[in-house]
Amino acid sequence: MNIAMPRNAFPLVVTGIAFAFLGLFLVYPLFRIFGASFLDASGTTLTLHNYAKVVSSAFYRNSVVNSLTISALATVATTLITAPFAFALARLPIAGKTALTSLTVLPLVLPSFVSAYALVLLFGHAGAVTHALESVGIGIGSIYGTPGIVLVYVLTLYPYVLLPTVAGLKALDVSVEEASRNLGSSRWRSFWTVTFPIVIPSILSGALLVLIETLENFGVPFVLAEDKPIMAVEAFKLFVGETDTNPASAGVLGVLLVCMTTFAVVIQRRYLGRRRFATGAKRSPPLIAVGPGWRVLASIYCWAIVLISLVPFFAVIVISFMEYRGPVLHPHFSLDNYAELFRRSIRPLENTLLLSTLAAFGAAALGVPIGYVITRYRSRLSAVLDVVATMPFAVAGTILAIGLVISYNSGWLVLTGGWLILVLAYVVRKLPYTVRASSAILHQIDPSLEEASINLGVSPLATFARLMIPLMLGGIVGGMVLTWVAVASELSATVVLYSGQWQTLTVVMFQALEGSGAGLAAATAALLIFFTVIPVALVYRLLRRYEMSLL
Amino acid sequence: MTTVTIDRVGRSFGSVQAVREVSLEIRDGEFFTLLGPSGCGKTTLLRMIAGFCELDAGSIAFGGRRIDNLPAHRRNTGMVFQNYAIFPNLTVGGNVAYGLHARNVPAAAIADRVANALKLVHLDGYDTRWPHQLSGGQLQRVAIARALVIEPEVLLLDEPLSNLDAKLRVEMRGEIRQLQQSLGITAIYVTHDQEEALAISDRIAVMRGGALEQVDRPDAIYRESATPFVAEFMGVTNLFSGTITRRDGARAVIQAGTTEFYVEGSVSGGPGRQAGDDTIVFCIRPEAIRVIGPGETVPAGWATVDAQVSRVEFLGALTRIETQLADGKLLRVALLDQPLATLASGQPLTLAYDPRRVTGFAAA
Repeated sequence: MNIAMPRNAFPLVVTGIAFAFLGLFLVYPLFRIFGASFLDASGTTLTLHNYAKVVSSAFYRNSVVNSLTISALATVATTLITAPFAFALARLPIAGKTALTSLTVLPLVLPSFVSAYALVLLFGHAGAVTHALESVGIGIGSIYGTPGIVLVYVLTLYPYVLLPTVAGLKALDVSVEEASRNLGSSRWRSFWTVTFPIVIPSILSGALLVLIETLENFGVPFVLAEDKPIMAVEAFKLFVGETDTNPASAGVLGVLLVCMTTFAVVIQRRYLGRRRFATGAKRSPPLIAVGPGWRVLASIYCWAIVLISLVPFFAVIVISFMEYRGPVLHPHFSLDNYAELFRRSIRPLENTLLLSTLAAFGAAALGVPIGYVITRYRSRLSAVLDVVATMPFAVAGTILAIGLVISYNSGWLVLTGGWLILVLAYVVRKLPYTVRASSAILHQIDPSLEEASINLGVSPLATFARLMIPLMLGGIVGGMVLTWVAVASELSATVVLYSGQWQTLTVVMFQALEGSGAGLAAATAALLIFFTVIPVALVYRLLRRYEMSLL
Repeated sequence: MTTVTIDRVGRSFGSVQAVREVSLEIRDGEFFTLLGPSGCGKTTLLRMIAGFCELDAGSIAFGGRRIDNLPAHRRNTGMVFQNYAIFPNLTVGGNVAYGLHARNVPAAAIADRVANALKLVHLDGYDTRWPHQLSGGQLQRVAIARALVIEPEVLLLDEPLSNLDAKLRVEMRGEIRQLQQSLGITAIYVTHDQEEALAISDRIAVMRGGALEQVDRPDAIYRESATPFVAEFMGVTNLFSGTITRRDGARAVIQAGTTEFYVEGSVSGGPGRQAGDDTIVFCIRPEAIRVIGPGETVPAGWATVDAQVSRVEFLGALTRIETQLADGKLLRVALLDQPLATLASGQPLTLAYDPRRVTGFAAA
């Protein structure tokens, strides 16, 4: 029987703190963006002029159209390529399945703009492969613009579709398939009439995550879009370039972008609710026996996707040990790039490590109690908290950062220019990770344990601290590592908020993209890859044990 | 010392009224069982006493002291959960000591009391074991020790035996009863198993749809059920409705279909029952009916009815027979094991019963 815990002070305190924090650093900044979009340049008069200006400008109209087109293409392509992969992984005897499964986690933690950057280093105007091919007289098409961006999205975001679909397929009660066969359907017909419809919600749920992620993404289009306007990038450029008191045009793009992603998040949440409807199974469905031909074909298909997606990262690491003379890459292997990187300053690395650590602890300190209250104390208030704590998903990093700058660069609380505003932005953005990590573990801990503790005389707050935190510890650590890794490769908010000495590795890369320091950028990227892969590899087993959703 | 007074307590979840206007007085040292089908409100009521569910109306008091406004951790109840709720991160000893730590009991006293509590549940020497090393029955004992060691005012048990296998269940319920009696503690026990309730309780409250249906001693609940629901819930029975056609001394003669039944003694009258309203519902337990073999005489004062065997079910100690009356009505009979090889489907039987063992209810 599922009966809500009675009212006590603990959930109210947690809810209060959470609302205060998210109100100050998420809702208020968004409100300021919203306000900015309806005010004139001086920030005093209400007007619709800004919207008229953006709508009447072909350039900004195109940025909306381009963003939507690219996201739609990337979502459809990712889904079409990944759905068969998921089915093969769940139901066919693929060679090296365990290794394959572990490798599919990597694209989730590796920074996607590094993949984009690698593509430029290899196939760009001055790319290594482009050069090599030109020297033998072969020209390749441009990888800039829509094709390159969509390609990077597919290669880096396919796990968003893969993981929920595999989970859905594994949760399928095989007896429904057997019932279908028993009633006279062929295997093929059973798949299309029974198996596929049951996992559709899982596939769509993942596809919507891809849609949200591509709409928000700043780094990939920044690297690959060239002259093509993209909303998240243009909002940033407008904000940096706008000289008026009120960042009106950036506000308009921000509002439009938040509306689109919110719409996608709302639909995604609806599907998430239904995601468990296939879980009647006590054991995963058995593998389907296929001939060696199919087996080889399916194995090649799966491995190809995974390996191709990792090629850019591998290339970046190799390039980081090579020497650039002007734009030309020379096959001399040395540590020169790294020496140069550290000779300049070790500060960015220190900053990345420090800020990620602070953000991981901050997100855990706030997110774990929120996850606990949402899961254990169901009420109308905690339902609202659940929605608010998911909101950061729908807000592009660039837009949140712009909102934070507008809100806190003057007045009673000035945060701009320091490290704190970066940490606050990270905690807000990655809060959903720790909230969901904590509720994922709680779903595996029987609620009567807490009741037993309370019944024995320990107050709800002390029960949470003394009993639940130790029980949840493995999952909390997993969630913190994910947050740490995500923050280390965060670019979109950082690039708006960093100042002077608070450059991070991603900012160094970002700056190198425009300059000529390709070797330096590659070394920075390699460092970033190292610092994201190692922690995740260390806690990989922990994450799997707690069946922690990485999405 | 600790009586539990539940006064007009109510609670609804949305449109569902889980508990409605329940009033109970549970005596000191009593083993009191809340019995009913799932969704009848028995668990909700128990959780209200423990403090895990809020009251919409009414009050609960321990020994005259109102407790429903206290937070759960200050109520000093010991609860045994259906799934044991043993803390997996603590040893057996750590689990039992948990509530004592919360009460700031000195370390030396904790060691003594934990050892005593474990001895009480026959787990002496298990204090350094981990929960995952124990069987279900042992975990259950740890849960009981953990609840008793804090010397609670009231022991609350929420279907504590439902996860054990049948044989262990019978064994454990005896132990729980014995432990409760030797400690003289007030215990409130929730179950949906009527046999379990009959076996261990001083008194039983049968609940239905959030309200009390009957509160009484086990034998009274079984033999003198207050409502047809209780009669049916407490075990297999024969439930008929009929019309009182005449009175024959202390007996009422009831026409049910084409069969006449005799009822002696009072007929429980509902509040809506009026003179001249002669429709009644009555029940007779299968084991109160006897088969009269050829040459046997009907006991004095008993009534008889003719029936035909339709099905025989051999259960070992008991044989259940389904018979058909002349108008097709089903009448169940239960007999203690005896050589009945001659019983076969279609065979005519003469059945006898004592009219004093027929319970009548006011028609609904």
